[in-house]
Amino acid sequence: MVLPEERYRIEPSPPLLAATEADDWPFGTLRQAVEALQRCAGPVPPGGQRPVYFDIVRQPAAAGKRPRKRPAHRFFVHLNADGQGGDGSETSPWWGLGAAVAGLVELAELGEIELAPGQRLRLEHVEMFSASALERAKRTKEAIAHAVFLAMALALVVPLMAVVGYLVVRAWPALCWDFVWQNPQDYMTAGGIWAPLVGTFFLVLGSLAVAAPIGVLAGVYLNEYAPDNWWTRLINLAVMNLAGVPSIVHALFGVGAFVFFMGMGKSLLAASCTVAVMTLPVIITSTREALASVPMAFREACWNLGATRWQTIRTIVLPNSISGILTGVILQVSRAAGETAPILFTGAVFFVPVADHGWESLVPYGPGDRFMALSMHLFTLATQVRGVPEPIQYGTAVVLLALVLAVNSVSIGLRVYLRTRKKW
Amino acid sequence: MAQPQLRQSQPGQPAGRGRLGPWFDRVCDATERPVEWLVRLCGYSAILFVLAIFVFVFLEAAPILPKLDWVEFFTSPQWRPTSQVRVQYGILALVVGTLSVTALAMALAVPLGLGAAVYLSEFCPGRLKEVLKVVIELLAAIPSVVWGFIGYMVLGPVLMETTDADIGVNLLNGGIILALMSVPIIVSVGEDALKAVPDSYREAALALGASRWEMVHRVLFPAARNGLLAAVLLGVGRAIGETMAVLMATGHAIRIPQSLVDPIRTLTATIAAELGEAVERGEHYRVLFVIGLVLFAVTFVVNLLADVVVKGLRGERGS
Repeated sequence: MVLPEERYRIEPSPPLLAATEADDWPFGTLRQAVEALQRCAGPVPPGGQRPVYFDIVRQPAAAGKRPRKRPAHRFFVHLNADGQGGDGSETSPWWGLGAAVAGLVELAELGEIELAPGQRLRLEHVEMFSASALERAKRTKEAIAHAVFLAMALALVVPLMAVVGYLVVRAWPALCWDFVWQNPQDYMTAGGIWAPLVGTFFLVLGSLAVAAPIGVLAGVYLNEYAPDNWWTRLINLAVMNLAGVPSIVHALFGVGAFVFFMGMGKSLLAASCTVAVMTLPVIITSTREALASVPMAFREACWNLGATRWQTIRTIVLPNSISGILTGVILQVSRAAGETAPILFTGAVFFVPVADHGWESLVPYGPGDRFMALSMHLFTLATQVRGVPEPIQYGTAVVLLALVLAVNSVSIGLRVYLRTRKKW
Repeated sequence: MAQPQLRQSQPGQPAGRGRLGPWFDRVCDATERPVEWLVRLCGYSAILFVLAIFVFVFLEAAPILPKLDWVEFFTSPQWRPTSQVRVQYGILALVVGTLSVTALAMALAVPLGLGAAVYLSEFCPGRLKEVLKVVIELLAAIPSVVWGFIGYMVLGPVLMETTDADIGVNLLNGGIILALMSVPIIVSVGEDALKAVPDSYREAALALGASRWEMVHRVLFPAARNGLLAAVLLGVGRAIGETMAVLMATGHAIRIPQSLVDPIRTLTATIAAELGEAVERGEHYRVLFVIGLVLFAVTFVVNLLADVVVKGLRGERGS
């Protein structure tokens, strides 16, 4: 018997393979193949992850080409059901193989599912209530969005790691204790960073002495005393603006107010005051947050015992929020240590000779003296002085960075520790 | 055995009395009013300082204000403060420099920052969230002079090799550095804005069958629109006001940039670079203070706008 030119094969997916081995021959017409489907149906194991389907492939494909993977027609059937219904679409699959075969035969007779050579028709099993194409598209979009957002978040981590790592590697030859203890020598092309380091220390100390009391009391006022009115809103706005004013404008303010108007001259004191004003918002906002986290009931209990406002604050509110306030103060330290622009014209200078040993090297600057600061020193080394060996430049950057990040880490650690042992 | 003496407060006296002895109580009573006034004064100090900043910068700038050619000041790109032939104070090139570097930084930082904010607030598992927030806080803590150093020493040579720029310190360099500097503030403010959207919004969206991404861009973005805008504005404010990083990373060329890799100079960098050399209280010196006033005004407006935008959000939600 000569087989007709047109041949159709049934290619079932793996779970159906065993049941259909005997039927694996070419069919003459599409209709024969469709009707043969009925004979190769086995029960479908429930809950399978891989798709279960029959493919009817028209052979042969064009010379030298393999049959196409992507089906030309797709229909859906719920193999485990038995009934009449459905239209073969994904949202409404045929109920059972009988209905599917009947439907396909009908479509084949209408000529709607003719297959060109190499094309395939897929009859796919769908579980009831399983995800449809819409759901899958949503899930894909979801996964893409998740990945993109994750990448964006990681894009923040990478620079920090890269920057810190690179700086440390480049600075490695210079990093030793002598680098910290020695003064800059030979027009800053040798030696260490003791003089600027100690200058930064006193600058931070000075600014802390000015900013901490004012900032904490301002936070107390805003959280404990301030009524909810336009004036308080104005104060909040001012705090926000103070934080937003450019650092160089703070420098101009420092020049105008402290250096000239108050007659401090370019000095450690003037620079400290300028930095203090600049870092005030840090302390105010964190103090306010710390105070706001003390429950109202604590205060009410205290007031009910007859305590005045200030007594309540002094004995109840401040002790319960002191660590939170401390966090803000530490943050202020880190800000003050890193600032350059405000001290540029208010007292920091490129170079001050400082004693190498003894008492003089520990307290080299009086409040009225000009001084060296680490951040300023880094700026000087990088852009103002020629011939500074790279390890010294990078070493200065690393010490400044380490100082600031360490202080910040202390603040973060303190906050985490607080949260774990919060009593209320 | 002697009974332990419990120190009791007298009837009609506040609690906490006598804890540290009668003298301490007397001191406290006497200090109640002054302390309250002190606290009040400190509370007002923020307003005082903002006013003081304006007043002192204004006073230093005042003598030049009537003499300054304002049209030239704002429209001329010629900044020649030390010219022997004709001194010109035109800040147009500086303004364009500031705006272009800010715009570039925002183009990089806003998608990144808002994306990271969305990830932190909506997608992130708890542990990772803590870690990322710490990283962002540390990123925010890196001093600007260190960023400038990185731009000058590290990024500059890299840009020279990868682009055909003549010098490595240029607009692109400054933009990248500024973007990295302003991302943390965008992330933290943006995350706060997303957190401020009530959970019921999220629950309603999810209950209607939205996926998380659909919830974010159909529900959260519109609901947190103002807060996110405020985040962007604060980032802009930070970028405009940044001094040391742009001073070191943008290359000091006073001209209107033609391409991405042209060196530029910003308003802030001009003050920082020239104030030290200007004759004290001379004309040039005072013009730099005028630039300071302009900067103050611009950042003031940007911050005010951010505040109004956030307050608007609260008003909407409250009603």
